[in-house]
Amino acid sequence: MTKISQVSVGAQDATSKLFRAREHSVEVEARPLGGDDIKPRKFNPPLPRRYYLYLLAPAIGILAFISLYPFFWLIFLSMQDVDIMGGNWVGLENYANLLTDRRFLNGWSLLLKYSAACLFLQLTIGVILAVIVNNSRYEKVLVTALLMPMMMAPAVAGLLWLFLYNGTFGWYHWIMESLGILGSASILAKADTAMAAIVMVDVWQWTPLITLIALAGLKRVPRDQLEANMVDGASPLRNFFAITLPNLYPVLVIGVLLRFMDNFRFIDHILVLTGGGPASATKILPVYLFEVAFKFFKLGRGAAIALTLLLVTIVLGKILVSVFDKPKGSRS
Amino acid sequence: MASLDVVHYDSPRMRILRFGAGIFLVLYLLWTLVPFFVMFVSSFKDLLAAFNLPEVGDWSGITLFFDFTPTFKHYVSLFVDNNFSTYIANSLMAAGGSAVISVIFGSLAAYSLSRVEFAGKADLFFWIISTRMAPVVAVMVPLYSIFRALDLVGTLPGLILAYTTFNLPFAIWILKGFFDNVPYAIEEAQMVDGSTRIQAFVSILPLVAPGIGAFVVLCILFAWNDFLFAAIIGSGGAKTLPVATRELVQPQNIQWGAIMAAGVVTTMPMILLGLVIRKYLVTGLTMGAVKE
Repeated sequence: MTKISQVSVGAQDATSKLFRAREHSVEVEARPLGGDDIKPRKFNPPLPRRYYLYLLAPAIGILAFISLYPFFWLIFLSMQDVDIMGGNWVGLENYANLLTDRRFLNGWSLLLKYSAACLFLQLTIGVILAVIVNNSRYEKVLVTALLMPMMMAPAVAGLLWLFLYNGTFGWYHWIMESLGILGSASILAKADTAMAAIVMVDVWQWTPLITLIALAGLKRVPRDQLEANMVDGASPLRNFFAITLPNLYPVLVIGVLLRFMDNFRFIDHILVLTGGGPASATKILPVYLFEVAFKFFKLGRGAAIALTLLLVTIVLGKILVSVFDKPKGSRS
Repeated sequence: MASLDVVHYDSPRMRILRFGAGIFLVLYLLWTLVPFFVMFVSSFKDLLAAFNLPEVGDWSGITLFFDFTPTFKHYVSLFVDNNFSTYIANSLMAAGGSAVISVIFGSLAAYSLSRVEFAGKADLFFWIISTRMAPVVAVMVPLYSIFRALDLVGTLPGLILAYTTFNLPFAIWILKGFFDNVPYAIEEAQMVDGSTRIQAFVSILPLVAPGIGAFVVLCILFAWNDFLFAAIIGSGGAKTLPVATRELVQPQNIQWGAIMAAGVVTTMPMILLGLVIRKYLVTGLTMGAVKE
């Protein structure tokens, strides 16, 4: 008994020593190292907004230099009479001149005519094609074939069609002449057919885009509606106009707006094919602008024309973005 | 129709419709593909053979098109007489350079635009996208005037910067859509585990990587196919393929064989790239408005 108690007393001693030691060390460890004001370290403090700003800044900086600054420079330029040698201030004279410039007004009307023709053909052919491709067994192969024209540089497409249209050795010229559509003069040589020629190239190259857009839309036409309508005895054609087309409408609006703006943006094939001729028959506004600014180097005058073109594009862009942002419709 | 299994149409009228659709499809495919075929075949034709054309109305003479002995001399002349290897390098550097710059800065900007709200964000966004939509000629008037003052006209850096005017806004706009689709919860989880914000950003990159890759390719495509910027801003020192091809058209002597060969050289890589990023193509060409 005593032995045990002795032992236990000894143990108590030892443990109490141990505890004391630990208490001591805890005390030491827990003692704050510095002053009382040090707070525990927080990982990932709530986001400083600066952080995102740093990420955004370089891109905005670049864009400011290549888009915002040029935009104000454009306005400044448009009030000058700039030539190769430099410029002098003329105020609003460039704009006043535009109002009486017949080629400027003609450029707008040609641009609208050109766009209307392109859009009408692309929309009609594109949608019909999309419906056919959607029902075809060979959809994948067909889409691959349709992609090809869009991948070609528009300037190269222009050269290729220049070759096909050629009055002496062009195969398309030969076909059209053999069919009796065209006389012996090249399609590009006459004022009334040249416009049709450039429209054909645009239709060749960009109808597939409308087809692909419509195809994406067709995949989302609700099947149950189609089936319900069919069970009620609607014909396929009726089904198309009553259900498919209204469902397609939002994507088609986007397609048309995009193509319309591209008609403003790209004039490569026109420059290559006709250069605006013959006799200004294909001198749509961007082509006219190109001629004024980069053939005659009337940069001031060109700037005034460019500004009118930009304003119309900005309005179109606003419409397009508002279509993008619609909660329903194309976005899945 | 989507539901032939429900009601089966097989009226005579339907059969006519289907037949008409078949004809339309075949005609359209011919219309789309024949120019490519002509370009390809003509690039192997001798000049005289290329100009062989049957009499007007002589439809059987169409076989004349195939009546030639193939030659590679146009391709050889492109690289030997016309410096096309330089132009290919120019095209590659201008397109690749602007694509890389656009996607690096574009993805940073798109990420922060996707993760933070601030006043005027919609306006900033519209400004960015309207830069992409502006007519190329209109953009070029002030840009040319500025670049001329900075001696950037006719240089590769100038051309890269010019291409960035449309590629950077495009990249920001499209990639924002990509980042919007990545839930913020992933980054939060990463940060709870102790990673920093930058590490969290890097950790979601693999999720958007295929999209970013596809848009590098699309940016290359837009720049490669450009003609106007290259013709004006790149004229002289930084001639790219479309401009060089166009310059084979000379008033006295249009080298059609070489032009067709240059067309093949310019177009083929882009068609292949287009097929590679097929999945993202519609999204890209419609600026993300239409998704497949």
